[in-house]
Amino acid sequence: MQPDLQQKQQQQGIDVAVLVSIGRHPTTGRARRAEQDARGLELALAIEAELPGTRISMLHAGSQDDSSEAALRGYLGMATGVGMGLESMTLLEQPEGSDAIPALAKHLAATSPQLVITGARAERGEGSGLLPYALAEHLGWPLVNSLASVEKVENGVVTLLQALPRGQRRRLKVRLPAIISVDEAAPAARQSAFGPARRATFAITPTTPEADSELAQWHLAPARKRPKRLKIVKAASARDRFKAAASKSEGKGGQVLTDVTPEQGAEAIYQLLKEEDVLR
Amino acid sequence: MLETLLPILIFTALALAVIGALRRIRLWRQGRPSRVNLFKGLVALPRRYLVDLHHVVGRDKMISNTHVATAGGFVAAAVLMILVHGLGIANPLLGGLLLLASASMFVGSLFVARRRLNPPARLSKGPWMRLPKSLMAFSISVFLITLPTVGLLPEGLLEGSSSWLLALVLAGVVAWGLGEMFFGMTWGGPMKHAFAGALHLAFHRRAERFSTKKGGGRSTGLKALNLEDEATPLGVEKPADFTWNQLLGFDACVQCGRCEAVCPAFAAGQPLNPKKLIQDMVVGMAGGSDAAYAGSPHPSQGLGGKPVGEHAGSPHGPIVALQGKALVDADTLWSCTTCRACVEECPMMIEHVDAIVDMRRHLTLERGKTPNKGAEVLDNLIATDNPGGFDPGSRLNWAADLNLPLMADLKQVDVLLWLGDGAFDMRNQRTLRALVKVLRAAEVDFAVLGTEERDSGDVARRLGDEATFQSLAKRNIATLAQYRFLQIVTCDPHSFHVLGNEYGELGGIYDVRHHSTFIAELFDAGRLTFAPWKGGSVTYHDPCYLGRYNGEYEAPRNVLKALGIEVKEMERSGFRSRCCGGGGGAPITDIPGERRIPDMRMNDVKESGAELVAVGCPQCTAMLEGVVDASAEVRDIAELVADALVERSADDVSGASRQTTASTAAEEVIL
Amino acid sequence: MSEIIRRDPRREWIARNRLHPEHASVLAALGVNRGGDGGAVSEWLGPNGVVRKNPRAIGFIGPNGVKRIDRSGLQQGGQSTATTTAARDSRRTVTIDQPAFLVVVVPDLTGGRLSGHDKDLLGLARRVADADAEQPGAVVAILFGEHKGEGGGELKEQALGEAGIDRVVHLDDEFYAGFAPEARLAALSAVEREMTPRFWLLPDSPLGGADLGRRLALRLGERAATGVWQVEADNEAPLGWRCTARGAAGSLDIQRPLPRVALALAECAEPVDETRHAAEHLALAASIPTTLSRIEDLGQVAVDPAGVALAEAEFILSGGNGVKQWDAFHHAAKVLGATEGASRVAVDDGFMARDRQVGATGTWVTARVYMAVGISGAIQHLQGIQRCDKVVAINLDPGCDIIKRADLAVIGDSTQILAALVAMVEQQRGGQRDAA
Repeated sequence: MQPDLQQKQQQQGIDVAVLVSIGRHPTTGRARRAEQDARGLELALAIEAELPGTRISMLHAGSQDDSSEAALRGYLGMATGVGMGLESMTLLEQPEGSDAIPALAKHLAATSPQLVITGARAERGEGSGLLPYALAEHLGWPLVNSLASVEKVENGVVTLLQALPRGQRRRLKVRLPAIISVDEAAPAARQSAFGPARRATFAITPTTPEADSELAQWHLAPARKRPKRLKIVKAASARDRFKAAASKSEGKGGQVLTDVTPEQGAEAIYQLLKEEDVLR
Repeated sequence: MLETLLPILIFTALALAVIGALRRIRLWRQGRPSRVNLFKGLVALPRRYLVDLHHVVGRDKMISNTHVATAGGFVAAAVLMILVHGLGIANPLLGGLLLLASASMFVGSLFVARRRLNPPARLSKGPWMRLPKSLMAFSISVFLITLPTVGLLPEGLLEGSSSWLLALVLAGVVAWGLGEMFFGMTWGGPMKHAFAGALHLAFHRRAERFSTKKGGGRSTGLKALNLEDEATPLGVEKPADFTWNQLLGFDACVQCGRCEAVCPAFAAGQPLNPKKLIQDMVVGMAGGSDAAYAGSPHPSQGLGGKPVGEHAGSPHGPIVALQGKALVDADTLWSCTTCRACVEECPMMIEHVDAIVDMRRHLTLERGKTPNKGAEVLDNLIATDNPGGFDPGSRLNWAADLNLPLMADLKQVDVLLWLGDGAFDMRNQRTLRALVKVLRAAEVDFAVLGTEERDSGDVARRLGDEATFQSLAKRNIATLAQYRFLQIVTCDPHSFHVLGNEYGELGGIYDVRHHSTFIAELFDAGRLTFAPWKGGSVTYHDPCYLGRYNGEYEAPRNVLKALGIEVKEMERSGFRSRCCGGGGGAPITDIPGERRIPDMRMNDVKESGAELVAVGCPQCTAMLEGVVDASAEVRDIAELVADALVERSADDVSGASRQTTASTAAEEVIL
Repeated sequence: MSEIIRRDPRREWIARNRLHPEHASVLAALGVNRGGDGGAVSEWLGPNGVVRKNPRAIGFIGPNGVKRIDRSGLQQGGQSTATTTAARDSRRTVTIDQPAFLVVVVPDLTGGRLSGHDKDLLGLARRVADADAEQPGAVVAILFGEHKGEGGGELKEQALGEAGIDRVVHLDDEFYAGFAPEARLAALSAVEREMTPRFWLLPDSPLGGADLGRRLALRLGERAATGVWQVEADNEAPLGWRCTARGAAGSLDIQRPLPRVALALAECAEPVDETRHAAEHLALAASIPTTLSRIEDLGQVAVDPAGVALAEAEFILSGGNGVKQWDAFHHAAKVLGATEGASRVAVDDGFMARDRQVGATGTWVTARVYMAVGISGAIQHLQGIQRCDKVVAINLDPGCDIIKRADLAVIGDSTQILAALVAMVEQQRGGQRDAA
């Protein structure tokens, strides 16, 4: 009885492919595991914990060098349980500046996992966030973005929670195979441990690289600070314009209300909350 | 009758003791190898015992004398007994000595018994409660059976058929005594401490910590993990992952509970009792459950202590379970502030902090289970070289107006000022400004690394992330190798300790000084002049990483004295100083307890009656200033010195002028 | 009442000094005195949008019988209402009958209204459409779901027109509601077939245009520009425009020719404010093929705002040592819809969970509004709220450090102030519900 049940559960497990990229730390620019992709892997690990027998394969398309290897090992270090099947990851080797989409699409079509999890957008390169959509279009699979959690997988249908603004959630049912993309709303990735990361291996698969010629023509520069939009004052007279300009510097100091009734104080706060549009 | 019985009894006990010893040795040898010079260790044993161990035990004169009488008496009695009664050398001189020895032991055991009448909570009960009786049984019985040897009793007294019963009873008591003292010594009774303790002293993992004829030894830096060799386990997962002499050390524990009495985490009600932790390791080494433990348990919120008997382990089973319970709960290991108070107090020279960090290494490096903010801090250290995740390029932003000389420009200076991560903390920036002011006043030739500096790796290492520590340390060493300087001065005792005591193993050997030491030197050299102290009463809090880790207790006090401050000492100061709760990553892992450690420390300050507490560590400042409704102000020594600085006229540096300042200062205090 | 007119030289001086901070209030006070004066209108907007003045209507007879004209603004003050209505009416009405090309915008229409982001995007669309005055393009908005507008009836359409929309395709069928990317994509494909617009502009907002826009781009086989924040005319570019887009998680600026599909960030352009457009309704000629959806929306799940992660929260109500009634505090957070935070002390004292701690040793927060109740502002705490936009402090002690940091500080009993605030918000909500 018991082994039967176990076997049944084993069969219920699904094949999950997690696409990972090389991240970039926002302040130092150092290579690291990408925040969103790591959350994607965390999601996959959560599915595995729920559905024993789930097989996770990790996939990265890119070149192989020391700094990227260290970043990729950041994902492999998340295999901190026993027998998590993250001992190795597939590296679709292609030189820098190649288009990752054809290589990934080809590999996914060949291995046909039931669920593909990716981060919403990359931390390096174009980072347009088009990749999951391109894969969905290539493979003809449904795509759900901004995933918060996977609730259950049953009979080829997955029930998901999608994140909405302000911490709200929406429940969706999606037919497998499907692609889901993950952003900051998904649960944070677990700590990456040095030991498992060091032991893991890479299965390197050569690809026929296609250079991203369009990207090469564009002009790339470090992001400039965007000018902060000034409050547009449609003033009828010079005096109003002056007043509007003057009141800005005035507001910087901060207003202190002493000796007011609670109602007056509350009124002032209420006005500010209204102005900032945080009351809903 | 006794003549025939005694040798049998003695040699049976000795034989059993040898078998037990071999069994015990086999338990220790489950551990990983550790290179120790066995012969040298054995030769050094008497000195280590008589000088170093007694230096610790001697802090409590009563116990020290008791132990000298009891243990000395026992060792002498045991040897003489084997000679006199075992081998039958009925020499009256030997017999007399034996009488003397057993009498001394008996007197000692009376004091042991007295202490056990109403034992303090820190002492373990259980088998330990029978020890005074066993000691008495041994000493009295040995005394009695020896009386005929010296002829104080007629030889025939025990011969007659009437005294058959008496002889039998005596033999029984002798057997009891021998059982406890010989058999129990190696089979796990309370006397195990003597056997394991002696060998632990001889084969200690840190031979450097013992004094030599040249002077006192000290060894407080953590040992590096070999990351090059993939076969070396990353930390300790199971008891057998400790080195054999660490296991031996655990076995030496006498369960006196001195560690428990000084442990800040235990006092705060966090789930750590260092004594219990060591006993847990002993249980794990032998296999079994902790049900037999008879001391205070690990505290537990709302329960009055984690129940004993629920945890069990084996030499090759995990210490911390992936799920559920094993030998120790993870929060026990993360409660430690690595303040070394337990190590400082331990009469058996057990290294608790090493063991805890070894186990943390496994949790962090293999399991990725650094609790609470730990993972975030480690990620920050990897990505930004500082625990706060700040832009490393902004390390010198606080000093934009100070025009600090940079090492990169000067290449060669007398003093390299190591800023530490306090450079990112608004509070500590005040201390740093003060220190710069002092250095400039004393016209010290100094420079900073500026943005080339990285975190020293202290926090990463205490959180068990040896890989990140070594990465930071190696890069810092490479940076420092580019420049020439005579010494490093820092106001962060953690950096001080790591740079001075832990970088050496990785190839960075520096002369490092805490700013209080350096300021004291500057003052002694007449390069600083202070205005008399006008404030209220002051106490001084010894930072663990300055005091216990590096033995610097005097310099900060000398600086305060130079300022004209008479320090009102707290009850726990110097080597017994109570931790602020900020070390070992404890504020990051943040294990809940009943109280907060800094609150307790501020209470110590309050009890001293001081209005100001001088500190010498950014962590201590942050922790103590974080106490709500504190009765005393917290100032770094550098700030106090900077405030008292007097512009020095070129020729006014004579000793006489200093004396007047000192005396006026004294008057001020009286007023 | 005395008939003696008392002059207040200071007030008169203020009334003349247009830059004086009290100018407006003094004017208002003087204006009240002059109430009922009537008088001819001195200034109005002529039929061609030119301001006309009647110099005879200006001024008054001074004490010596001489006519005086006061240019202090005293008279303007009295007429302010007239001028603002004139300003509102000053929007030019623009109708584009024969557009040279189409720019299609798919606004998010969050909550049934055009969001600020939508309006910025429509401003961008207008810029692109109006670049050549000879051959203007038309801005077509595709609206999914219910459109609430600013009011009812005509006003509702006016909001669309004022945002710069020439044509509206309103798709209000049930199957577009909720998360229906496949149905929406099919509709947009139908629009593409029927109108072949020159540009597709969508807001790059998560869960709105960001998702739909990328789907559309891939369906159309276009390599969309995403995160666009600047668009400039460029004759070299195939479509006459080039754009600057954020890439690599906001760390890169990519300059490239503007493609047919662009997803733009908020503040990519100024919203339309000088013209009013027709907002003429269009219906699609062909029916949109219904697709079999593989994604089923089971509706929204109730989430407690208190459970939202602090680092992501937009509005935080944070309590400290000075909070005496925690129940009232939790209630206030619930009513305000704020995420709860706490100072270290409140956490240590066990009133709040550890993951709610704000500060250098807790969570670094980035809220738009951070409301600190009974928090004195330890340096570590202030460090943790550095990146908050607006800080509101309620505290008893006017001297504590948080007051210095706060944009608005109210000194008083926090329990009472919170209670008053809660009452105010509840009352407003009730009022709104009645109106609706």
